[in-house]
Amino acid sequence: MTSNRWNYPDLGLGIGLRTSHYGHILSQKPEIGFFEVLTENYLDTGGRPLFVLDKIAESYRLVMHGVSMSVGSTDPVDFDYLAKVKALAKRINALWVSDHVCWTGVLGRNTHDLLPLPYTEESLRHTVEHVRTIQDYLERPLVLENPSTYLEFTPNSMPEWEFVARMAEEADCGLLLDVNNVYVSAFNHSFDPVAYIDAIPGERVCQYHLAGHTHKGTHILDTHSDHVVDPVWQLYGHTIRRVGLRATLLEWDANIPPFEVVRDEVLKAKAWRDQEVSDAA
Amino acid sequence: MPHEARTEAAIATRVLKLDARRRAARRRSSLKVAPEPGATPAAHEFRLEAVQRWMQAVIVHPGDVDEAIASPEASAEVAPERLAELVKPSHSLTPAERVDIYHGMYMLRMVEALESDYPAIRHVLGEEGFEQLVADYVQAHPSRSYTLNRLGDHLPQFFLDHPDRPDAAFLHDLARAELAITQVFDAEETPVLTEAAAKAVPEAAWASARLRPVAALRVVATRHPVMPFLEAYKHDRPAPRPRRRASWLVAYRRDYSVLRLELSRHEYDLLSALVGGAPLGEAIARAALELRASRREATVFRWFRTWIAEGMFAALEA
Repeated sequence: MTSNRWNYPDLGLGIGLRTSHYGHILSQKPEIGFFEVLTENYLDTGGRPLFVLDKIAESYRLVMHGVSMSVGSTDPVDFDYLAKVKALAKRINALWVSDHVCWTGVLGRNTHDLLPLPYTEESLRHTVEHVRTIQDYLERPLVLENPSTYLEFTPNSMPEWEFVARMAEEADCGLLLDVNNVYVSAFNHSFDPVAYIDAIPGERVCQYHLAGHTHKGTHILDTHSDHVVDPVWQLYGHTIRRVGLRATLLEWDANIPPFEVVRDEVLKAKAWRDQEVSDAA
Repeated sequence: MPHEARTEAAIATRVLKLDARRRAARRRSSLKVAPEPGATPAAHEFRLEAVQRWMQAVIVHPGDVDEAIASPEASAEVAPERLAELVKPSHSLTPAERVDIYHGMYMLRMVEALESDYPAIRHVLGEEGFEQLVADYVQAHPSRSYTLNRLGDHLPQFFLDHPDRPDAAFLHDLARAELAITQVFDAEETPVLTEAAAKAVPEAAWASARLRPVAALRVVATRHPVMPFLEAYKHDRPAPRPRRRASWLVAYRRDYSVLRLELSRHEYDLLSALVGGAPLGEAIARAALELRASRREATVFRWFRTWIAEGMFAALEA
């Protein structure tokens, strides 16, 4: 069983913290390995969200997951934003801080989408430089997630998995391997998802994501709106055989069902993890 | 306001709407260009900066994807006829159709974010009217923040800047009220003034003392009643017709719940004077001038009792 480079703990199975579950979590204190917090939802509020987060931080292990770091943007790094991220991480004692291999806007604007990068040497150099700058400021390794993408750039000079792997090595950052995103992008761009997983440096993987998606026939959208499909579970099984056990989180962001449904879904990962442990013994 | 939906995932309704837009775009699309064999351009032909400026220009364009790709802002970075040199087709989608996935999701995301902050305006305008408003608004005030929570900050000003829009003056008032509610939701939590703390201030010091409101409090004066519209949304009732009549309200937070109270003009005058930092004696004297002498003391006392019980003040500073 390999470990990750920073010895970040395997937190077991976790759920993305969502408003509709606040009441249940505070009153029932359900057993769960960890919660993942959507960073931007707590940066500029002193109201109920932050109050609830502080309460949850007293009882659960937390990791932070953001959508606005925009590590691939040609705009300058936003240090005001990073200052708030850093303060929140300290406040809730976040075990790690993650975001995405993407860009969200340029010229001072934010599209609030996780936009694909061209996978070129120029993009790689630029992204690596930004990630290093961000890590220096945050004084901790950044953990970056492979995105779901719906288009590929013709001038790409390498596949996404090579870009992600080289970025992680050259910037010395961690990876959040979203197994569903690999599956989604593999369908959208006609590549082999297993080849993708096999090319990822396992010692840099700190966390896995799982989620449901929406198949449109011509393409798949990463909607986080449903149960995890069987091929993604199969790919998860392959991933933990290849990379090892890591904190595994289920994202459910649309048509969010009751807490128990989300927890039951992520608990399905336990069977795959147990299988890996028994095979390794 | 809570913005859980402002995350990386498109929501299911967004997907359905996107489908409809994409079907329409596909019928119209004239950019179904397949790349010529061996035509892969060198990476240096498309610098990262130009690619990002191009993609953003396309995504945020208010027209359909073909218009967006052909727009001056996008064309300045990548000529429309070179689309296939920049974006690959997939096994089932043309380059334009792939770009359209991002283009379609942008506006839906903006609508969703502003719906969350301005639900009463969305209720008044209906789905189509609100979508048109958002399309116009984000052209004038695109997001420049890492958070969508700030996207709607300029909506009241937008109505002032566009007085020709139907019901602009009324919508300006309603937008100010809804923005105040959002600000109250997100404001810092501050300790509340207790009766004991108030009594600790010597009576002789009261006239010059200042009542500091909690951070989560806003007073709003409007030229149109807005409460009926906030209530119509809350209870999913048809919105009434806007009418012109001066109206006053206070939005505040208690136990992390946002509350709002309609105020009389005199009540508003006194409360807003206190919020503005006027000394207690001066604020009361100013408001009392307008009150009937026989009820003056009882009325002011009742207001203060309500405000302090509702936790609207943080401190009495002598």
